[in-house]
Amino acid sequence: MKTIGIDAGSLNIKVVVLDDNKITGYSIVPAGDDGTASAKQALENALVLQGDACKTVATGIGVKLLTFVPQQKSITTCLARGVRFLFPSVKLSIDMGAESTTVIKLNDKGRLADWANHDKCASGTGLFLQQMAKLMAMPIAEMSHLSLKAQSRPEITSTCAVFAESEVISYVHRMPPTPMPDIAAGIYYSVVSRVMSLCKRVGIEKDIAVTGGVALNTGLVTILEKEIGTKVMVPEVPQIVAALGAAIIAGENAQKGITQ
Amino acid sequence: MTGTENSSQIVSLIRTFKMLNRFNRTRSDARQSRILYFDMLTEYYTQIKNAHDAGKMIASHPVFFPAEILYAMDIVPMHTEMTTWMDALFLKEQGELLAKGAELGLAPEICSPHRGVAGMFALQKVPRPDIILWSNLICDNTAKFGELVMQITGSPGYFLDNPFQNSPAEMSYLVGELKDMIHFLEQNTGRKMDYTKLSDIVVRMDHEIELYREISDLRKAVPCPMSIDGYLELLGADYMFPGQPASAKYLTLLRDELKIQVESGRGVISPERFRLMTLFIPPLYLINHLADIYAGLGTVSVVEPMFTRWSEGRLDPSKPLESIALKSFLLPERRSMYGLFGQTAINDITESAEQFKVDGAVYWAFLGCRHTCATIKIIKETLNDVDVPMLTIDCDLVDPTVNSKEDTQSKFQQFIELLEDR
Repeated sequence: MKTIGIDAGSLNIKVVVLDDNKITGYSIVPAGDDGTASAKQALENALVLQGDACKTVATGIGVKLLTFVPQQKSITTCLARGVRFLFPSVKLSIDMGAESTTVIKLNDKGRLADWANHDKCASGTGLFLQQMAKLMAMPIAEMSHLSLKAQSRPEITSTCAVFAESEVISYVHRMPPTPMPDIAAGIYYSVVSRVMSLCKRVGIEKDIAVTGGVALNTGLVTILEKEIGTKVMVPEVPQIVAALGAAIIAGENAQKGITQ
Repeated sequence: MTGTENSSQIVSLIRTFKMLNRFNRTRSDARQSRILYFDMLTEYYTQIKNAHDAGKMIASHPVFFPAEILYAMDIVPMHTEMTTWMDALFLKEQGELLAKGAELGLAPEICSPHRGVAGMFALQKVPRPDIILWSNLICDNTAKFGELVMQITGSPGYFLDNPFQNSPAEMSYLVGELKDMIHFLEQNTGRKMDYTKLSDIVVRMDHEIELYREISDLRKAVPCPMSIDGYLELLGADYMFPGQPASAKYLTLLRDELKIQVESGRGVISPERFRLMTLFIPPLYLINHLADIYAGLGTVSVVEPMFTRWSEGRLDPSKPLESIALKSFLLPERRSMYGLFGQTAINDITESAEQFKVDGAVYWAFLGCRHTCATIKIIKETLNDVDVPMLTIDCDLVDPTVNSKEDTQSKFQQFIELLEDR
């Protein structure tokens, strides 16, 4: 049976096509100004590869825009299904998206047991990292590599994106300037400290996965591993895990005969 | 003070309660106890509005304060926090009160009902109280804000010191404190304490506590006969009308209504899918919306161990002051919110989960109540040990800028999915 999951994020719309428990296609399209049109485009891209319509479940912060998809599920449930599919041993998963960070805990059956998220401040999110890279006048990938060369790290506030920005500016412009690798590491530590507080709220338990677009940032993941005290699992395409979970749920719903 | 004084908030509240009851009386499905409750609120605020014209004194007091003393002395009580709650619930004008509180230098981290109370008095939205009463039960904000209200209103005040522990020595200390307060009230109002009247109030209060216990037991039924908005009525009945004939009548009527529903197997939600424990108090401005969310998801709040489960003990009308002191030790809120958060409070949580057949719990983490928020982790772990997941929603009781309806609904939806998925 072929099913589709759509994750309408704040920056990107992700679509995953699942056929008999195998990912047979995916698509990531910028959300842009018209989320509905972008979602249809992402869906079309995936369906062009697949050729026919199938059961679909939508999720994500922009899910309300996807009125053409009758079945919707919350992001936490979808993340739990997606992570379990990719890494069956995972108990804790950290999803770092553009505008929010969500930590989910899975029970022995791989179902959602608890979650915690930051959604009130941009501090600690993908958009925050983008902004910091812009301040340091370098692409985000370069900032990531640079952080791996850090000798020390300055303290950067982890509670407010605006304050963090002015702190970074002061480190860049002070005489002598703080080395760029150290500033990059400081930024990542600030993000990781927020993530760690979420992890502690639900309880840290191995194995641990990191998903979402920010998981592509190796510098941040390296620091997270140091702080959390263990290696973490990162999917090949970490952005599509919630969409994958939605596609899995579409299959479950079809089996149960749920249509709404 | 005379009828020329400003009491715009009181007048608006009275008008709103009357209007709500006009509407309720046209509905065949309206709960009669709810109609009575709104009549009680109308009468409560009418008494405050007319007090000075009738030559009566008004004493303002905070939560968990023995207003029985005031009723026995024929002094009109004005519950300060409940009045800001009512404002948030029914008038939606809390923004103005909080803004005035901010103007007085009260930081957003301070308990918003207290900030609202300061704003309410500074804006003269209510008649000026002749006496300000306050105590340290239940928090440091409660302990300190009375001084601010005294400064704003220029009225004399009395601080009632509540001990943390329940021992004979501390009980005796509290009785002494009550005597001192009565002396202060007699000197400042010219009213005399009527101990016969106080004994009658104690008789009714004892009966009311028994009614609270019966109502709590009835809510153990599956399906549960009461919705989450009834929770706030239960609080209001004691906070504003302790030992009064009206509250005894209200609780009796509610008990009888719930009994009929339980006997006929009718729940407030049909079908009842999930039974929730409510910890602390939901945002008041969202309460009606919340009732819809609960109904839409087939969910019902069945128990609030921090607020509606009274401790064991009986009041003795032959010892009225000792009984008033004892009541403050029986208060549900006292176990988990005043002094040590001990084994009794933890047992209460686990027993409630079991007895009320709870599927999940929701902790409304009121950001301004930091001392209760400190217990979130303990409560969550306690519930997880008995396989009850807990959702924590950071919120504010009266400030609508902290949570939106959509945000709350989305978190609830996620939690219900978690429960469905187990």
